[in-house]
Amino acid sequence: MVNLTIDDKQVSVPKDATIFDAAKAAGIRIPILCHDKKLHPFGGCRMCLVEVEQMKGRQIPACTTPVTEGMIVRTQTDDIIKARRMVLELLLLKHPIDCPVCDAAGDCDLQNLTYEYKVNSNRFQDEKFSHSIDYENPLIERDMNRCIHCGKCARICDEIVSFGAYTFISRGIEAKMGTQFDGPLNCEFCGSCVSVCPVGALISRPFKFKARWWALDKVKTVCSYCSTGCNLTLGVKDNKVLTTIYDENQGWHNGQLCVRGRFGYQIASSDKRLTTPLIRKNGKLEAASWDEALTLVAQNLKKAGAAAAGLVTPRLTNEELYLFKKLFKDALGSDSIDHSAGYAHSALTAGAAESLGYPASSATIADIQKADLLLVVKSDAYETHPVIGFEINLGVKRKDVDLRIVSDKKGKLTKLPKAVTYLHKPGCEVSLLNALAKTIIDENLVDAAFTGGVAGLDLLKKGLEGYTPEKVADACGIKADAIKTLARDYAKAGKAVILLPIGLGYPGHGKELAQAVINLSLLTGKIGKEGCGVLIMAEKNNSQGAVDLGLYPTAGGKDAGAIIDGCAAGTVKALYLAGENPLVSYPNQQKIAAALAKVEFLVVQDLFLTETAAKAHVVLPACSFAEKDGTYTSVERRVQRVNRAIKPMGLAKSDFDILNALYTALTGNAAYANLAEAFTAITAAVPAYKGLTLQGLGENGVVVHTPSKPKFVAVAGAAPRAEEGKFALLTGSALYHCGTMSLHGEGPMHVCPEGYLELGREDAKALKLEGDELLTVTSATGSVKLKAKIGLRMPQGVVFAPYHFAAQPINSVTAGDAVTLVTISR
Amino acid sequence: MFTPVPLIKGLLITLKHLFMKPVTLQYPDEKVAPFPRFRGLHALNVSHNRSKCVACYLCPTVCPAKCITVEAAEDDKHDKYASKYEIDLLRCIFCGYCVDACPVDALKMTSAYELASYKRDDFVFTQERLLDKR
Ligand code: SF4
Ligand code: SF4
Ligand code: SF4
Ligand code: SF4
Ligand code: SF4
Ligand code: FES
Repeated sequence: MVNLTIDDKQVSVPKDATIFDAAKAAGIRIPILCHDKKLHPFGGCRMCLVEVEQMKGRQIPACTTPVTEGMIVRTQTDDIIKARRMVLELLLLKHPIDCPVCDAAGDCDLQNLTYEYKVNSNRFQDEKFSHSIDYENPLIERDMNRCIHCGKCARICDEIVSFGAYTFISRGIEAKMGTQFDGPLNCEFCGSCVSVCPVGALISRPFKFKARWWALDKVKTVCSYCSTGCNLTLGVKDNKVLTTIYDENQGWHNGQLCVRGRFGYQIASSDKRLTTPLIRKNGKLEAASWDEALTLVAQNLKKAGAAAAGLVTPRLTNEELYLFKKLFKDALGSDSIDHSAGYAHSALTAGAAESLGYPASSATIADIQKADLLLVVKSDAYETHPVIGFEINLGVKRKDVDLRIVSDKKGKLTKLPKAVTYLHKPGCEVSLLNALAKTIIDENLVDAAFTGGVAGLDLLKKGLEGYTPEKVADACGIKADAIKTLARDYAKAGKAVILLPIGLGYPGHGKELAQAVINLSLLTGKIGKEGCGVLIMAEKNNSQGAVDLGLYPTAGGKDAGAIIDGCAAGTVKALYLAGENPLVSYPNQQKIAAALAKVEFLVVQDLFLTETAAKAHVVLPACSFAEKDGTYTSVERRVQRVNRAIKPMGLAKSDFDILNALYTALTGNAAYANLAEAFTAITAAVPAYKGLTLQGLGENGVVVHTPSKPKFVAVAGAAPRAEEGKFALLTGSALYHCGTMSLHGEGPMHVCPEGYLELGREDAKALKLEGDELLTVTSATGSVKLKAKIGLRMPQGVVFAPYHFAAQPINSVTAGDAVTLVTISR
Repeated sequence: MFTPVPLIKGLLITLKHLFMKPVTLQYPDEKVAPFPRFRGLHALNVSHNRSKCVACYLCPTVCPAKCITVEAAEDDKHDKYASKYEIDLLRCIFCGYCVDACPVDALKMTSAYELASYKRDDFVFTQERLLDKR
């Protein structure tokens, strides 16, 4: 610790602190323009000048100067105030000062400081800038005339997002913040640069001119796209969600968001939302009253009884999911409930549950930066969970984390500095991980002290016999030596975390893969310790909650697959879909369509009239995350509160209210009087959540842990499928989307409006493709037309298609296999 | 004790006034000319065939009666303009803060004070009605 005096106050701070940090610790505010706590110090604006007595009164920047013992600092002398005023005068010299039409006004650091330092005239004179404004991209407007050259946008895009879209171009007075070849911005559109820009040089186009900053109500809640569980502040006016607001102190991620979280908020106030219940009359869906709709649903569910089944989206709150389960169990006597097509949660509910003793990840997000080595299974971890991706970027760039990626395609992560990628043939992840485990055992790298307490080691050894690196090498296309090196490096790393994304787009990431991954961490004892463990990243905002609450058959009921088959066979008499859109997101569209057409009674409860809802007998309008209270559980099992920001759209009701009303109609009593009662019931029923209270969750939520009962489980890898002349089709998530809900978020749709088929240069050449030709992709299941997207990511013979798009339904060619063999024609 | 002196004084004053020029104005036949800085009905200054207002929202923010409604929009040149500008005169207290607040001199207050109407709706002055059409 270093002791110093700032404005006569004694402070002691760690020795790597700057004067700015020390002042902050002492509660003294030093004005800043170019400094950001998340970024490396820059020292560009000179707003933070202070005087240090030992330096003979020289003025030095507080944000870059490290503290030294006995320093005496003054932050508010007359000279300093004069200097700061001059800094502002010089900044205002070329600035257009168009606050009346600038969206940053009210939240602009330059404006606030100009006011604070009473700069109302300028001693200097010069012409204003006349840069042209970038209106080319749909999400971020760049007006470099307003730029004050703080460099924060370039630094955040480089240091945290790791995209590197900006850099200063030209010199001297001509210098400006520019893009590649000074062209239009074309990037990930995460909006991080917009959020840190201290002025209005970068603004959000979807929010442009929508409202003034000071007129917005700011409501803190949680993002409802992926399971990263980012905290979010919604800007609300006149009962409409107009934007998301950056708060650098919010959440473990310091307010960082991805494109979906930042620009996809329109689902809440979209005018395409369902606003009234619909009942099918004479073949057409017609508006109806809640009474009529609920009575009809209750009658039919009652009639079906135990032959009723439910599929629910893990986007609902914990309270709603729990009530959904209760409705089926207690009111209908049916155990046939499931979510995420069944396979998308099996890594947790079957894999982790058996191998670890609980259906969850052992690591938390904070472990990523604490690890020495990070093993990412599939580069898609960035696309599925972008803000976790930022943590990986930070780990690699700041903490020197050794990043290894085992993947069937390249991606953003594989481009990180020093990242080592092991590109394998599609579908052989399990074999490859088995080979790693085999090497660790054969080379005696096992942590014997740890494995001594874990059952099943002998069985694992036996099960791994056939998986020598030499044998696996050929099948998966990675050299045996590379496999061995990876195994050794993983085993020898002091701390290591393995990341595994799962979800509807990744049918191969099920029980076996999760167990293969867990075996590795158990063998080397890298689990249950700081900076160690396995992070199984479920797809949706409350996927982990759905798993924790047991939203899958637990007493012999039908799982998702069996429910669909049951609908087709007539054994499921009534199907209740809450938020699920199987027609687009479950594999094998033809089969799903046939099953849905067959079932006697189909009720869909959703925000929008989805493709599936259009087939229903009754459609119930539900509320979005912005219209309700409750809790979500994130990927690291952080239970967090969602807060209501706006009133429900039209007649829409929260899923909780709808389910509760149905429960009442079926049993005569409401299931729970209110949300708090439901939450209490959850804490009583789910051991991991024991002792939690709604108030206790606070603003940042609480991470829950359960004691582990680890066990080795030998798993067999499937032989990779290949056929001469056919391509291996992989499905997955696009960076801009999550499930099918983001299709209703205008922001993401501006950048990624339709499905595509991504293929590598060689294949494109062989197919004589040039750009975005329309291709027909055909498999044994069916065919779909997709636009070609040629890139550098895909190895030869492997193609990728995102699964979100209803208009280009990739599930009309897939049937739930890890890899689908397809032919491609023009 | 009663003395008639005050009564007589009073009557004399009355008598004097009977022969003076009356001060009342024969409204509506005659009208007052307000002082130059009188605060009457608002008007929006016009420039390039549309109101000068750039929809900065300062006047609705400052208005103590909360009677101004502004909605901003983006025109073809990506500039900001007021797609809606309304003042509810029934709530306006004619304080003139809105005029003071306007950074682009788009708003002024005229000398118009004859604002009576038969219908409540007619007191809501839309942008079109507020435009200074001279
Ligand atoms: S939006 Fe994100 S990726 Fe694009 S320039 Fe800004 S920080 Fe970089
Ligand atoms: S655009 Fe904004 S963040 Fe970037 S340098 Fe200019 S003022 Fe700073
Ligand atoms: S989509 Fe996921 S990563 Fe993006 S902001 Fe939301 S929770 Fe965070
Ligand atoms: S004069 Fe006063 S009360 Fe009337 S609109 Fe202006 S600010 Fe509001
Ligand atoms: S203050 Fe002036 S420019 Fe701003 S909204 Fe009011 S009239 Fe328009
Ligand atoms: S904040 Fe210190 S130099 Fe800019």
